[in-house]
Amino acid sequence: MATPDVNIGAPVATPAVARRHRLVLTLSRLWAWAFLGLMIVFFVIAVPIYNGGSVNFLTVRNSQNILVAIIPVLLLGLGQTFVIIGAGIDLSVGWVMSLGSVLSALALRAAFNAGLPLFPSVVVGFLAAVAGAALVGLINGTIIAKLKVPAFIVTLGSSFIVRGVALLMSENTTVIGLPRGIRDYGNESLFYLIRGEGGGFYFLAPPELTGELLRRMDRILSYPVVITAIVVAIAMFILHKTQFGRHTFAIGGNIEAARRAGIPVDRRVIMLYVLSATTAGIAGFLSTLRFTAGSAVIGDPLLLSSIAAVIIGGVSLFGGAGSIIGTVIGSLIIAVLTTGLVMLNVQAFWQFIVVGVVVIVAVLIDQSRELIVGRTRTGPPT
Amino acid sequence: MAKRHLIAAFAAATLLAVGANAASAQENIKIGFLPGVVDPFYQVMELGVNKAAKDLGIEVVTQVPPTWGVEAQTPLLNAMIARGDLNYIITAPVDKDQMVPALQAALDAGIKVITVDTFLGDGDYVNGPVTFPISYIGSDNVEGGRISARGLAKAIGGKGTVYINSTNPNVSSVEGREQGFKEEMAKDYPDITVLGPDYNLDDPNKAAQQTAAVLEQHPDLAGVFGTNVFSAQGAGNAVVNAGLGGHVQVVAYDATKDAIESLNKGDVTLVLAQKPFDMGYLAVEFAAADAAGVTSLPKRVQTGFAIIDKDNVDDPNYSRFIYKAE
Repeated sequence: MATPDVNIGAPVATPAVARRHRLVLTLSRLWAWAFLGLMIVFFVIAVPIYNGGSVNFLTVRNSQNILVAIIPVLLLGLGQTFVIIGAGIDLSVGWVMSLGSVLSALALRAAFNAGLPLFPSVVVGFLAAVAGAALVGLINGTIIAKLKVPAFIVTLGSSFIVRGVALLMSENTTVIGLPRGIRDYGNESLFYLIRGEGGGFYFLAPPELTGELLRRMDRILSYPVVITAIVVAIAMFILHKTQFGRHTFAIGGNIEAARRAGIPVDRRVIMLYVLSATTAGIAGFLSTLRFTAGSAVIGDPLLLSSIAAVIIGGVSLFGGAGSIIGTVIGSLIIAVLTTGLVMLNVQAFWQFIVVGVVVIVAVLIDQSRELIVGRTRTGPPT
Repeated sequence: MAKRHLIAAFAAATLLAVGANAASAQENIKIGFLPGVVDPFYQVMELGVNKAAKDLGIEVVTQVPPTWGVEAQTPLLNAMIARGDLNYIITAPVDKDQMVPALQAALDAGIKVITVDTFLGDGDYVNGPVTFPISYIGSDNVEGGRISARGLAKAIGGKGTVYINSTNPNVSSVEGREQGFKEEMAKDYPDITVLGPDYNLDDPNKAAQQTAAVLEQHPDLAGVFGTNVFSAQGAGNAVVNAGLGGHVQVVAYDATKDAIESLNKGDVTLVLAQKPFDMGYLAVEFAAADAAGVTSLPKRVQTGFAIIDKDNVDDPNYSRFIYKAE
């Protein structure tokens, strides 16, 4: 995880203290990976023991199930990562996702019924979700940047508005009557693996199968997973390789300093909220494909999970630090827990308790990091 | 002494006033309708309410809480009481205990209460802890769970492992469905093992993940009972993506249009339809009957179910129970 230039400051302490600092910094970078690894090891051992040896945790199918399951939380978290690194917060993402789901369903249905072929209709649905979501982000960002209203308040307010709009547009919370074929876009995959006898590995299309062979078929890299991976790659590029990314860290580190350094802060802040809403809109679009229906409530339960994923992934709530891969790890931790606990027949509510503990640990680590990095970053008090 | 006379006189006056009101009630009563939340189920119930109101020439005032919860329903109820012109409130209390004081206040303000779909106390308005409502009109969730169990057992040939995916704990409706389902399986189907429930907190993505994990754990899984539309939608998605569409039977509670679409796509095997239209229509008729002086209204009316599968989904005798709000 490369630290951007604004964050680099030479440790200003004695060698002993510096060593301790290095330890904390290394720990703060790696602990989420370590936790995820330990958790997987735990489930790999515990699941077969609990189920009498016949069931394994680390299977192709399970890994794919988990990749599919992280999509909504991860996509909401990706945009949120930018916003929080920029020292903001976006509380509207769950409902923007619902709006994206409704808009994409309505647009897709209208386009298809107007005679457009399936694929262009799906593209229309995608564009509608992204455009509608981005508009919400633009409004959020503009009010926050230009009118100087705290992000917490603006996005809280817009979450209610967006929720109302999505419910009104969908009329009865679910938009149905979408063309059947979109199911494939939302659920089929790049590769198919048929395990065991008579099996094989197939690209793009599985062979005609029945009965037993169908049961042994695993979908590998389903389209939503591929799309999400592309979005992750783009987000990594923007955050870690572009001027916009560097400015985001700078704004989160010290907004006044960023302004004095000539960064167009207002424009950048607006863009952060547009990004955040856009990834939420994509999440809504993908859920529409997956369930072949638009839902005005699909994103409602996801806001807190997505923020938790971001925090677990090491994004500093103080702003100015964090990475995309951290958010991926954070989302994975939450999803692996859900699947593992179900396979151990443990009440799913334990997931909340574990996630809660992990979030608090993450913040503690972040604070100790802040004690060290923060001092070097902002310089001595004047 | 004087004080007691005063109270007696006041009581007599009140009784007279109520009596006079009842005598002229047929065309004059006004009903408040306060369902649980915005959703297709209550939308169909509202159709029933409005139809009965039209048939009987009664005015109805409707308020629909935007979210499910005491904090959303109570202010609307209080506003209805404050209007001062309602004689009856037909409502689906969102909490069987917490809504008691608020509805008691309605009664104290001279508004009689009929509950639909959900109930107060334990639903027994004769011997239970809450007896003031006129009647509880709704389908029995425990019975619905039993019917779902029998439908699923039949679909899987009476043996195998089945799994319950549910929404939230401590909600009387889905809790009753789980309970009835488990009881029926334990009683009549000794060769069926029941797993779960897992709670997806109304998130179909989570329901799909949970069902996928159970399928990994029990590759021979024969069936899934989704206690509401989110559960069934997620479970159906996981089953089909595991290549098990048609092999693992999914039963969905509530005949929303998307549940029926899932049935048509083959993600769902059976759909259990309640009869919200009947609930709404009957409740208005009960209010009118009470106003006309009828005293033998049953305290509990079960509206029953229709079981929809892919063989009868196009049969108007069954498809009319699909929740359509037009």
